[in-house]
Parts: sequence; C-alpha cells; structure tokens
Amino acid sequence: MLQSLIKNVWVPMKPYYTQVYQEIWAGMGLMAFIVYKIRSADKRSKALKVSPGATSPRSHPHPRPLPGVSF
Amino acid sequence: MNENLFASFMIPVVLGIPITTLTIMFPTMLFPTPNRLINNRMVAIQQWLTKLTSKQLMITHSPKGQTWSLMLISLFLFIASTNLLGMLPHSFTPTTQLSMNLGMAIPLWAGTVFIGFRNKTKMSLAHLLPLGTPTFLIPMLVMIETISLFIQPLALAVRLTANITAGHLLLHLIGSATLALMSINLFTALITFIILTLLIILEFAVALIQAYVFTLLVSLYLQDNT
Repeated sequence: MLQSLIKNVWVPMKPYYTQVYQEIWAGMGLMAFIVYKIRSADKRSKALKVSPGATSPRSHPHPRPLPGVSF
Repeated sequence: MNENLFASFMIPVVLGIPITTLTIMFPTMLFPTPNRLINNRMVAIQQWLTKLTSKQLMITHSPKGQTWSLMLISLFLFIASTNLLGMLPHSFTPTTQLSMNLGMAIPLWAGTVFIGFRNKTKMSLAHLLPLGTPTFLIPMLVMIETISLFIQPLALAVRLTANITAGHLLLHLIGSATLALMSINLFTALITFIILTLLIILEFAVALIQAYVFTLLVSLYLQDNT
C-alpha cells in the first residue's frame, strides 16, 4: 500500500511538496503554533477553575480585630 | 427547540468516535481521477468545469503565481463540493466550523505573505502604504494597513463560516415556521413555503459563490505578492 501511495501520490506531487508549497508548510507551522497556544491557554484556564486552591477560604483569611478594641 | 436548531452543526459521532476526517474526505469520492484520454461523461464535465475555472482564475497571474494553480483549484472544488453536499437535509457541513475555515485560511494567507517577503521584500513592504499618502499620515496609515493585513485570514474564515451557518439556520427556522403555520393558516404557510424555496435557490448560489470568493481572495493575495 505504501508503494502504491509513493507511486501515485508522492512521485507526481514531489515538486509541489518540496518546492512550490514551501511557504505553505511554513504557514501550517504558524497555524500549528497558534492552535498549540490556544489549547494550552484553554487547559490552563480549565485547570485554574477546577483546582481547589483558587476557591479555598484560606485565600481570604478572616480579619482579626484591632488591638485595644473591645465589644 | 434550541437543541434541535444547532444539532446539524455538531460534529457527527459514530459509536462515540468523531468521524470528522471521514466527513471532510467524502467529497473526494465525487471526483474520480481521469485515467483515460477520453473519459466518461461525468469526468468529462468535471474536467471541462475545472479547465474553465482555472483559466478564469489563473490567467492574470505571473508564472510564479501559476504554480499555485493546483492548490487554488483544489481549494475551490473542495469548498464548493462541501457546501453543496451540505444542502442535503440534516447533513453535516464541515465549512460551518470556524476551526476548519481558519485551518484553510491561515496557512494559505501566511504562504502568500511569506512568498512576498521572501522573493520581493521591498514590494511587499511597499504594499503597507498606499500611493500618494500625505507625509504626516504615513505612520498611522502603515499601522492601519498592517492591521488590515493581519485581519485578512480572519475575514476569509469568518466570511465563509458565517455565510454557510446563517444560511443553514435560516433554512431550518423558515422550514420549522412553514410546518408550524400549516395547522394555523394555510395561506401564510404557502407564502412561507415560497420564501423557503427561494431561499434554497439562494443557498445553492451562496454555496458556489462563497467557494469562489474564498479562492479568488487567496489568489488576489498571491497576485499582490508574486
């Protein structure tokens, strides 16, 4: 199957893939980078929402009364 | 009603496995490779249409730009066939997904920009300033032209997504309205049905026009840079 793929696809398309579409491969690299950035930002924001550290009561400690104040 | 309205835009799933790749590759089955000198009728018509479109699209390009003929004609055939297949009721249209259209627009637009900067750097940079600009406006206009350059792939993708999605949504809504009105007022239902028929004809035209506009714009960006 690989041989027929090479014979029918790679051999006729080789000048296109190697010379004509060089800039398009670079554009695909740019697109892959953008996709990676968006995915990692999405994962980070989801992890922040789910993590217990973000919503624990320790993050907002109960205010202590000032010295000398009595009720 | 809400779930029903957007159901046709959800990725098709078979036994829990998304079959997006199969759906995207399906239109290739409609374009068999011509093996003979004189082919059957369907292939002959496809060849004739392809030759007509490629002549129309590529005649104004330089020899460097004409090396992209295969890419641009494949792009046009893919978008046109995908859009037309989407006119089948309840079918999934891949071009309604912004991710796919961005996946087509960004590499092609970036390819044209990189070609321009690699082969004709001065000319590419010169495109960032229109001819005859007053001197005091130059900094602002360069900024505006740079922003408009970076908006090009977004505009390409969103234009196609919005047109196809909006058309399908309208068809769905007006079809539901026609069905609902049938039991209330038959005359109004008939008017709505006529509107639906006209809209379907419009959607067929939009499917082909949007494919042509996408390809034409990419070829124009290429022409600017070659």
